[in-house]
Amino acid sequence: MFLKVELPWNVVIPPANLVAKGLMLKKSISLRLLKGFAANKATKDHGYFLAITTVESIGEGKVRRSGDVVYPVVFSCITFKLFRGEIIEGVVHHVLRNGVLMNCGPVENIFLYKDLMPDYRYVPGENPIFLNEKTGSKIVKDVLVRCVVLGTKWLEEEREFRGLVSLEGDYLGPVS
Amino acid sequence: MLRGEDEDASELKIGEDFLKAKCLMNSEVAILLEHRYDQMKQMSGDSTPLPQVFEKSLQYVKCFSRFTNQGSVKQVRDRYQLAEFELAVIGNLCPETVEEAKAIVPSLKTKGRGHDDEAVERLLNDLLMIKKFE
Repeated sequence: MFLKVELPWNVVIPPANLVAKGLMLKKSISLRLLKGFAANKATKDHGYFLAITTVESIGEGKVRRSGDVVYPVVFSCITFKLFRGEIIEGVVHHVLRNGVLMNCGPVENIFLYKDLMPDYRYVPGENPIFLNEKTGSKIVKDVLVRCVVLGTKWLEEEREFRGLVSLEGDYLGPVS
Repeated sequence: MLRGEDEDASELKIGEDFLKAKCLMNSEVAILLEHRYDQMKQMSGDSTPLPQVFEKSLQYVKCFSRFTNQGSVKQVRDRYQLAEFELAVIGNLCPETVEEAKAIVPSLKTKGRGHDDEAVERLLNDLLMIKKFE
């Protein structure tokens, strides 16, 4: 789910940038904020950071001992997070023996385990697929699949989420 | 902040922070990200690579966008008393029948919310009209 959230951030301006004229300060703060934001790919609590929409307020700067000034900034941004129980649509990018891997938005590794694909059977080959014998529907690379999120995992080192989904439920499966 | 075990979107338990946050439909995000993309290209030209998260999300929302007219979708948003999350899911997945809508947004079925089948049907018809006349 894409969300628009308001977040606080502390932007640090080193003394070198403060020498410039007062009018440029807001611009330096914005640029630093953008850089810091882009570098911070995602967090466990808010999900993936996509883009800043507006800077709501810039508070009074506090001077640190090192000479840097810290400005408390509040800004709005777009984030992406998967919620357990949410129905999402993903695109298959790999078909494996025990399931398929999909991506949805910025999340690249969402796993759909074969036992959670009722009535689908693995068909090996050069281009392996999952085939539903009853309906003839196929799950193959680049197919759009609607599924329910069973859970997510945050990987601290890679700063990314992994998802686990299922097709068990009404109206779930490949989308034409 | 809810712990992982308590979170369950099917019952609309997604944490206070997120219930207050505005949920965006893919179509709305597509407009915002495209705008941002143009701004970034103008500011830094073609030389600076875009963050991967941004690029993947832009690709995704362009592919999964269902509406182009945000004004009318906003009207539907105001007319029906749905949680932001519920409306966003419906806007993203565009269910065609009331059964499908209740299957993908289970929290609609919660008693006492006043969402009988007729109300859901009207909502789906409104969205369908918007799509037709875009």
